[in-house]
Amino acid sequence: MTLTRRTFVSSALLTSAFVGGSTKMSLAADFPSRDITMIVPWAAGGGTDALGRTLTKNAKQYIGVNVPVVNRPGGTGVAGMQAVAQAKPDGYTVGLVTFHLSSYRLTGVSTLSYQDFEPIMLLNRSPTGFLVKADSPFKELKDLVEYAKQNPGVVTVATSGAGAVPHLSAALLAKQLGLKFTFVPFDGGAPARTAVLGGHVTLLAVNSEEALQFYKTKQLRFLALNSKERHSSFPDVPTVAEAGYPLDVLLLDWRGLAAPKGTPPEVLATLRTGFKKMAEDPEYKRLMDEMALPRADAEGDQFRVFLEQIEQALEPALAETGLLKKS
Amino acid sequence: MFDIHLLLSGFSAITSIEVFPFLVLGSLLGIVVGAIPGLTATMAIALLIPFTFSMNPISGIVMLLAIYAGGIYAGGIASILIRTPGTPAAAATLLDGYPMAQKGEAGRAIGIATISSGIGGLFSACALTLFAPLLATLALRFSAPEYFALAVFGLTVTMSLAGNSPLRGFTSVLIGLAVGLIGIDPIGGFPRLTFGLPELSGGFNFVAVMIGLFSLSEAFRQIEQMGTLPPVPPAVRNVLPRLGEILGMWKVYLRSCIYGLIVGVAPGVGAETSSFLSYAETKRTSKDPSRFGKGAPEGVAAAQAAENGSTGGDLLPMLTLGVPGDAATAVLMGALTIHNLQPGPLLFQERPDLVHQIFAGMISANITFVIIGLLGARLFAKVVQIDRRVLVPLVCLLSLVGAYAIDNNPFDVWVTLGFGVIGWLMQRNGFPVSPLVLAVILGGMMESNLRRSLVMGLGSPTVFLDRPIALVILALAGLTLVGVLRRLRKPESGLAVAG
Repeated sequence: MTLTRRTFVSSALLTSAFVGGSTKMSLAADFPSRDITMIVPWAAGGGTDALGRTLTKNAKQYIGVNVPVVNRPGGTGVAGMQAVAQAKPDGYTVGLVTFHLSSYRLTGVSTLSYQDFEPIMLLNRSPTGFLVKADSPFKELKDLVEYAKQNPGVVTVATSGAGAVPHLSAALLAKQLGLKFTFVPFDGGAPARTAVLGGHVTLLAVNSEEALQFYKTKQLRFLALNSKERHSSFPDVPTVAEAGYPLDVLLLDWRGLAAPKGTPPEVLATLRTGFKKMAEDPEYKRLMDEMALPRADAEGDQFRVFLEQIEQALEPALAETGLLKKS
Repeated sequence: MFDIHLLLSGFSAITSIEVFPFLVLGSLLGIVVGAIPGLTATMAIALLIPFTFSMNPISGIVMLLAIYAGGIYAGGIASILIRTPGTPAAAATLLDGYPMAQKGEAGRAIGIATISSGIGGLFSACALTLFAPLLATLALRFSAPEYFALAVFGLTVTMSLAGNSPLRGFTSVLIGLAVGLIGIDPIGGFPRLTFGLPELSGGFNFVAVMIGLFSLSEAFRQIEQMGTLPPVPPAVRNVLPRLGEILGMWKVYLRSCIYGLIVGVAPGVGAETSSFLSYAETKRTSKDPSRFGKGAPEGVAAAQAAENGSTGGDLLPMLTLGVPGDAATAVLMGALTIHNLQPGPLLFQERPDLVHQIFAGMISANITFVIIGLLGARLFAKVVQIDRRVLVPLVCLLSLVGAYAIDNNPFDVWVTLGFGVIGWLMQRNGFPVSPLVLAVILGGMMESNLRRSLVMGLGSPTVFLDRPIALVILALAGLTLVGVLRRLRKPESGLAVAG
C-alpha cells in the first residue's frame, strides 16, 4: 500500500491520539518521569531548609529522579505554602509544610489550612523545652513555678516568636497553673537563646533542639520538656508531667510533606513510598538525630488526623494569648 | 582558644591542591554573583550547598566562605557602574561610587573599592581569628536595649545623608519608618497595614524596595533625560590606587573597620547597616561634607571597608553562639549543619582544627578577591561605556529579574516597580532616598527592640539606665542629633543632592 498523504496524516493523528490516551492512563505508572520540585516556604540556611535538603540529597536512589529544593520564603511561610497549594496537582510539586499552616486561619493571616493539601507524611514533631541559664537559682521547674506564683509577672520568658509553639506552650502552662509570665518574643529561637545566655531574660521557651549544644556545654539547664515522653537527646530531662505538673493540652511543633489538593491517589502513593525511603536513609536519620529533631512517621490519613488535633489544641492557646482572630 | 600551630596547619590545608582551586573558584563565583544585581552572595551560597555534598567538608566550606567574602565585596562593582547595588550591603557604595564612574573614574572607583574591601575584610578576619571567644562575650552583652540604642544612633546618623535639606531627609526617614511598619507586628503577632493581603504579612521585601529606589529610579531618570545627558567620559586607565592615597585615608579605614566589626559581632545586624553607618559618619566628620555624593573616594572607601569589615564579625556569633550575624551567615550555618558540623560552643571544643581552617579560609578569601578584583577592574569599568540606549533597558531588565530572583516571588517585581516610581519622583523633587532605605532597615529593629526592652524591664523605661553599653550609644545618638538640629536652624540652601 502506498502511503498517501491522507492516510499518513490520519494514521499519525490516530497514533498520537492513542499515545495521548495511554499517557493519561499510565500517568501514575510513569510517575515520576522528570524532577520533582520541593518548595520550602522558609529561607535557605534555616533548620527547615537543612531538613529538606538532607532528605532529598539521595532522592534519585529512592524515587528515580532528583528532588531539587526551591526556597519560597516570605509572608511568614504563606507565600511558599500558597505556591504549593496552587501548583498543578500532578505530583511534580511537593511542599515542606510547617506548623504555621495550622495557625494561619485561626490568627487571620491567611485562609490557607491543611485542607488545601494532600498530606504525604509527617517528618518531625518537636516538643518545647523550658530552660534557664546555668547559674540561675531555679534548679527545677517547681522552684520556678513557686517563685512565679508569689511574684506574678516578674518572670520574663524569651520565646522564638509570638504565636510560635513555645510561646503557646508556655502560655498554656501558665494558664493551667494560674501563673503570670511576661513574654519577650524574639525573631527565632537563636536570638531568644542568646538573650537567656546573656542573662537578659529569665526563662527560655524554645523547640528543644535549639538548646542542644548549650545543654551539652552546661551553659543552659533544662527545667522540663513539654512532651509525653523523654527525649533521647536529653535523657536526664524530665517531662513537665514528671516535674510535677501534668498538662491537659500538649502542643507540638511539626514539619511534614504535602502535595497540592487533587493530586491523583496513585501518584500520592508513589510519593509516599519514595519519601518514606528517603526518610529511612541513614544519612538523613543521622542528621536528624544529631540535630536532636525527633523523627515522626505518620503517613497520609494519620498525618491528617494529627493536623486536625493540632488545630483543636491551638484554638484555646491562641485565645489565651489574645492572638485568636474573633470571627 | 587561638592556636598558632592550628592556624598554620589550617593555612597549609587551604593551600593544598584539594582545597586551593575551590578557594579561587569560590572567589570568582562570589564576584560574578555579587556584581549581578538581585543575585546575592546569600543566594549563591544556598544554590551551591548541594554541590558541596560530595566534596570534603573543608573544600566545600572554604568555597562558600570565598563566595561570601567575594560576593559582599563585588556588590559594590554594580553600585559603582550602574547605580544598582549588587548586594543589599553595597547600597552605600553607590552614593559616591556612581558619581565617580559618571566622571570617567569607574576604574579608579573599583580599585579603591577593592582595596578598601580587602582592608576591612582582612581586619575583621584577623579579629575573628585572634579574639573569637572574647568577642563572643561582647555579643552576649548585646540584647534588646543595646539594639534599640544602635538603631536610634543609626537613624540620627542617617540625617547626615540628607544632603543640604535636613527637612527633606527627615521626611524620607519618616516614609521609611512607615514602610517598615507593614507586616506582622514582630512582638504582638498581629497583621499590620496588610490590607488582608497575605503577600504583605512579612512586610515588603527589603531588597526589592532597595532595587526599586536606587536602580529603577535612576533608569527612569535616564530615560526621561535620554539624549540630553552628556556621555560618560572614557575611563582613566589607572585602576590601582596610589599607596599615598590609601594611607591618607587611614582614619576612614580605622573607623570603618571598627564600625564593621561591632555591627558584625552584634547578632542579626549585618553589612547593610555598617556600610551606611560608616559612610554617614565619614561624611559627617569630614572637613568638607559637601564633596560627598559627588564622587568622593573616601565615601567609597568607608562603605566598602565597613561592608567587608562586617564579614568576620558576622561569622563570629554564628560560629560561637549559633546565632547568624546576617542572612548570608545564616545560610553558611545551614551548610555547616548539613556537613554535620553544628556551629556553637561545641564546635570550638570538638573541632578546633576545623575552626582554625575556617579562620585561615576567611583570611585567604579576602586576599583572593582583592587580587581577582584588581585584575578585573579595567574590564568591569568598560560597562559604563555602553551606549545608554542599550545599558538602561538592560538595567531595567536586571532589576526586575533580580527582584523576582530574591524569593522567586512575582509580588516582589511589583514592589520593585512601585518603589522605582516612588524613588524617581522623590529624587526629582530633591528628596534623598538613602535615608528611606536605612529607615526601613533600622525602623523594624528599633521598634521591636524598644518594645522588647520595655517588656524585659517589666514596662519600666529605667531598663536603659541599668545598661552602660546602651547608655553610651544613646548618648552618642543625642550628640549627633544636636548637630543635626543646629544645621536645621540654618536656612535651607537649594535642593538636596539626591542620593
